[in-house]
Amino acid sequence: MKQTSLHSKHVNLNAKMVDFAGWSMPISYTSLKEEIKSVREVAGVFDVSHMGEFLIEGEGAVDFVDYLLPCDLSVKVGKAVYSPLLNQQGKILDDLILYKLAENKVLICVNASNEEKDWKWIKSIHAMKNFNCDLQRVSDDFSLLALQGPKSESILEKIGFDVRNLDYYEVVQSDGSIIARTGYTGEDGFEIFCNHEKAKELWDNLMTQGVTPCGLGARDTLRLEVCYPLYGNELTESLTPLDCGLKWTLKSKNSYIGLEGIEGYEPQYRLIKLSLERGIPRKGYKVFNSVNECVGEITSGTMSPTINKGIGLALVEKSKILADHNYQIEIRGKMAQATYHKKAFYNGGHK
Amino acid sequence: MATNIPENLKYTKEHEWGLLEGSTLTVGVTDFAQSSLGDIVFVELPEVGSELSKDQAFGVVESIKSVSDLYSPVSGKVVAINEELSEAPESLNEKPYESWIIKIELSDESETSQLLSSDEYQKICE
Repeated sequence: MKQTSLHSKHVNLNAKMVDFAGWSMPISYTSLKEEIKSVREVAGVFDVSHMGEFLIEGEGAVDFVDYLLPCDLSVKVGKAVYSPLLNQQGKILDDLILYKLAENKVLICVNASNEEKDWKWIKSIHAMKNFNCDLQRVSDDFSLLALQGPKSESILEKIGFDVRNLDYYEVVQSDGSIIARTGYTGEDGFEIFCNHEKAKELWDNLMTQGVTPCGLGARDTLRLEVCYPLYGNELTESLTPLDCGLKWTLKSKNSYIGLEGIEGYEPQYRLIKLSLERGIPRKGYKVFNSVNECVGEITSGTMSPTINKGIGLALVEKSKILADHNYQIEIRGKMAQATYHKKAFYNGGHK
Repeated sequence: MATNIPENLKYTKEHEWGLLEGSTLTVGVTDFAQSSLGDIVFVELPEVGSELSKDQAFGVVESIKSVSDLYSPVSGKVVAINEELSEAPESLNEKPYESWIIKIELSDESETSQLLSSDEYQKICE
């Protein structure tokens, strides 16, 4: 199993380690509840070095990424952009964040579970013609720490980072590191790509500042509270962005990989947000409408310690959605009345 | 991981404990179980009066991220359930050996011989 540069630090902290996409990763350190609370109220740090990074450099870098991805590449240098990665049919291969570091330099950060698949796919697109840019797989070169929570800015300032002027979804290169005001928790926070030695030093500095180490378990619940999708759960290769709430990521442009699948496509599904007063929705539980028709199933579910309710996202067939939005979730053979949410279960405090 | 295993109780390989008083077995989950599960946030209990056979799933404990079945260590009738757990499931984490889950009136007392001693259970936890 692969280990991040911080592996021994996790082990020394007695973290529960799990196999995640071939990596030995911390799922939690002390208590999931405490980790989640720290991120919502103070600050927590996640080792997400397992994530993959690809670097595109050269005069044609932006043009290449503009063709590769359906999102808007006309943003200023120093902006980060969230995007799905599509196949030719417009189906979702992964979701990612791209960082426009310069007019000739774009960094792409992808899910660890898809890194190999994405690399092969992106390389094949790059090989289609001369895009006048180099494509490098730099996943092994970077450690990645995510500092998340309302105190993130002041903590980074205290240990010598100048991030006050960095806005939400902006990115800056500094001393060989890449610092972005992005994250996966809904809170204000930063993701810092750096070499492995610097990552260890940064981790230790954050521990000294009293930052709570947080694992992938807390990360998953935090992202679900603010309704961010997870590849493999909400997003899969059988869906287009129009089926799962990602229409907003698509920029109207003349050509990109997947456009032919998107144009004229009638969405078949919709992601809905459901909560329970008693009980917890779990992945795979069936969802029924008010005429007792099975409409789909839960794609992610958890107990939300922040709002103290069971929460879940469900992928439902669009044709079976009724105007009353009255849903029940089948739990171990019994029906539980769900509450339909138009908006996210919780609003994080991101800038 | 240091785990608390009181000597006066009986155990199962499913990480449940049992306290035998007369023909009634009080059942809970062990310190090892609560520690492995993490923060317990939901408990589903059977109805008083329901009949259980040995090894039958009778309820569920859920942590934030996981769902685990509870298995009856013996055959018998549920004579009491700890309703406080509905409001305070975290007490299973805080006081695993005080937070009982159900009490079972045994229908076959010979089944208690299959329960594990604290020494036998200790080996499973190692």
